[in-house]
Amino acid sequence: MKKLSNPFNKKINITTKDVATIGMMVAIIEVSKFALSFMPNIELTTFWIIMFTLYFGRKAGLAIPAFILVEGAIYGMNTWWIMYLYIWPLLVIITWIFRKTESILFWSILSGIFGLCFGFLCSFVYFFIGFSTGGIRGGFATAFPWWISGIPWDFIHCVGNFTFMMVLYTPIRSVMKRFAYN
Amino acid sequence: MEKKNTKKIVIGAVILVALIAVFALCYNKFAAKSTVGAKAITIEVVDSKGDSTKYEMNTDAEYLKDAMDELADADSSFSYNGTESDYGIMVEEVNGEQAIFTEDNAYWALYVNGEYGQYGADQQPVVNEDTYTWTYEKAE
Repeated sequence: MKKLSNPFNKKINITTKDVATIGMMVAIIEVSKFALSFMPNIELTTFWIIMFTLYFGRKAGLAIPAFILVEGAIYGMNTWWIMYLYIWPLLVIITWIFRKTESILFWSILSGIFGLCFGFLCSFVYFFIGFSTGGIRGGFATAFPWWISGIPWDFIHCVGNFTFMMVLYTPIRSVMKRFAYN
Repeated sequence: MEKKNTKKIVIGAVILVALIAVFALCYNKFAAKSTVGAKAITIEVVDSKGDSTKYEMNTDAEYLKDAMDELADADSSFSYNGTESDYGIMVEEVNGEQAIFTEDNAYWALYVNGEYGQYGADQQPVVNEDTYTWTYEKAE
């Protein structure tokens, strides 16, 4: 199988198998997201991104731009899309840092914290929207109330993320371990 | 390895609990609270005997009909009924007293601050400190 060298990082070589796998990762995330879209802030995207990063390593990071592009193509590129540009890569980075940790409780807590902070992280975009017209004061005046008003939904996000990881981590991890990815 | 994991879990759990506490505090302190109702208005009913009943209320309603619905829900002594038409609701009964023009030769007239109203109940804007009076009037 011919390997294409990545000009930005010699250590990551993308094979055609990787391209197909990235497609599968995006498909799994999208299908899960669509299936749960009737419940606000209950999502499997966090779970899958963590699991894919644990299993595929940095290559999972390549699925994120594809996922964000597909999201933009399906739902249109609005402010939430700008948030996606940094939120999901951030999750990959955090997971990558703790990749050697094998603990269902640890990953459940991390998922919960991520869900809880989701609104806070999203509010950065509103800070810059407010900043563009009202400076730092305008930025806070726009971002802060937006974040505060969404806190009950962040709690739901936290509980959803924590529960999904607690329930799904062990079965999915054992399946992933059975099929070593080369 | 096991010890390292335990340490990470404990730190993670502490961070999670701390964040939940901080977020809950922030929400309780800074979240926009709904007010009782920004507009203080009076709805008055003058029946066929000329007796007046006044209802004072706070509301955020935009139109009088919405304020009357709120009042009817909150105070069982106030009630109204009417028929919907192309021009909005035609009030035909207030506090159990019927005034249908074709049957009773009377009607419920709406006064706003003592002036004859220009709109029906569902088009009459609600303004702070205004008095809306439903008066039983015999047709001349």
